[in-house]
Amino acid sequence: MRYGGEGRTRLLLIILIVTALFLITLDLRGVAVLDGARQGTQTILSPFQKAGNFILTPVKNFVTDITHLGRTRNQIEKLRADNAKLKSDLLNRRNADAQLKQLKSILDLAGTAGYKVVNTRVISQGSSQSFSQTVTIDIGSNAGIKKNMTVLSQSGIAGVVKEVYPTSALVMLASDPAFKIGVRIAGTQQIGILTGRGSRSGSLQLLDNLTTVKVGDVLLARGSVANRPFVPGVPVGYVTAVDNSAGEIAQNATVRYYTNFGGLGVLAVVVAASPSNPGDALVPTKPVPTPIPTVTVYVTPSPSPTE
Amino acid sequence: MLTRQLSLSAPIFLFIFLFQEAVVNQFKLPGGGFSLFAIFALIWAVISTPEIAALTGFGAGILMDMSQSAGGPVGQWTLIMIIVCYGVSYLGYGDGNINGNPIGVVFFVVIANLITGLLFLASSALLGVTTGGFAQILLTLLGNSLWTLVITPIVLPVFSFMHNFVFETRTVL
Repeated sequence: MRYGGEGRTRLLLIILIVTALFLITLDLRGVAVLDGARQGTQTILSPFQKAGNFILTPVKNFVTDITHLGRTRNQIEKLRADNAKLKSDLLNRRNADAQLKQLKSILDLAGTAGYKVVNTRVISQGSSQSFSQTVTIDIGSNAGIKKNMTVLSQSGIAGVVKEVYPTSALVMLASDPAFKIGVRIAGTQQIGILTGRGSRSGSLQLLDNLTTVKVGDVLLARGSVANRPFVPGVPVGYVTAVDNSAGEIAQNATVRYYTNFGGLGVLAVVVAASPSNPGDALVPTKPVPTPIPTVTVYVTPSPSPTE
Repeated sequence: MLTRQLSLSAPIFLFIFLFQEAVVNQFKLPGGGFSLFAIFALIWAVISTPEIAALTGFGAGILMDMSQSAGGPVGQWTLIMIIVCYGVSYLGYGDGNINGNPIGVVFFVVIANLITGLLFLASSALLGVTTGGFAQILLTLLGNSLWTLVITPIVLPVFSFMHNFVFETRTVL
């Protein structure tokens, strides 16, 4: 603490702090100028983010492979053995294939439910410095995107459009702690509120204290008034643990989202829902176990050499 | 003199901010990753006078508030960065063991980054911004600190050189 703290510095510090508090007050009061400044910044940044995404995709794939090494070691080993000659080509093609697969799954999902969707690519991950879970997509108001539209991934709900700019939009992921969605359990139709936790799991609280939930139950979006922010019937996740504490008013459960938020490449924004509620039509089918063939070995005793 | 310093600093700050948004944010790193721009602003503040550090915090905070991933209202990051940047500079000013020593700078930047996160949490609680569960917050704070500890020594010579160029000081870390 060697600095003498001259009057000029203190005055400057006070002026800057007062300015910051002034900005906070203006923003909380909803002054449009500040929103415009943020929108302008995003409009400027959007082309750079798209260029960055395009250039860095091979590097991102490489980093993703490294971070998932433990989980996908066997798969990587198999691919390496099979495709040693095509390794360099595969690095570029894998991204396109993965995006195509995601896109196909999204279109299947949207087609089954009758949603009208606009497909989009993720161009930037939000910084976790603000403890929020967001991604930026490469379409905005020019493509008909509006605030509070449902965003789908290949497996189910990905999030909701939070901010819209002319050529991009900010999506709040379903894993964001501020994310809340009304859900119903497929089959039993019990309803509850699902809240993000900052990871792939969420917290479900049932609204009725007389109903129960069990591990494996599938959750679907309940839908909102005029289908915004949520269209009905979108698969959300499944129950992995149930909290049966005696002191709770209603039952709580832990839910695992269908969407893998770490690997989002292609998304779809629902611009119009189907006229009729798809009900339980979108409940994902459970994987069918591959039967293991039984090998029967017949042993025929050979004649003894002594005989 | 101040005009020259500001006119040279502004493009550097804008470039690092652009790099953060267009490149660093492309990667979903384990533990929440790091903010190169925050590291840059904190290094700049540690090796500057308190007056420059306060202005650095203001400029950096405004840019961070303009980022699409800034969760809270405009001005929240500005307030936090002014306080932290001024604080680290005030504590280290004139002490060669801190702002003249790379290890001291790294230590100060890591601690300041952690304090920035804690201040963001505290101000978010006051302003009603949702920040998530305890475990997730702890993981993000720990992850950010570890990443900052790894990244700061790598970028310190570059940022120190830029600072030296702008302010024409003789010492380069």
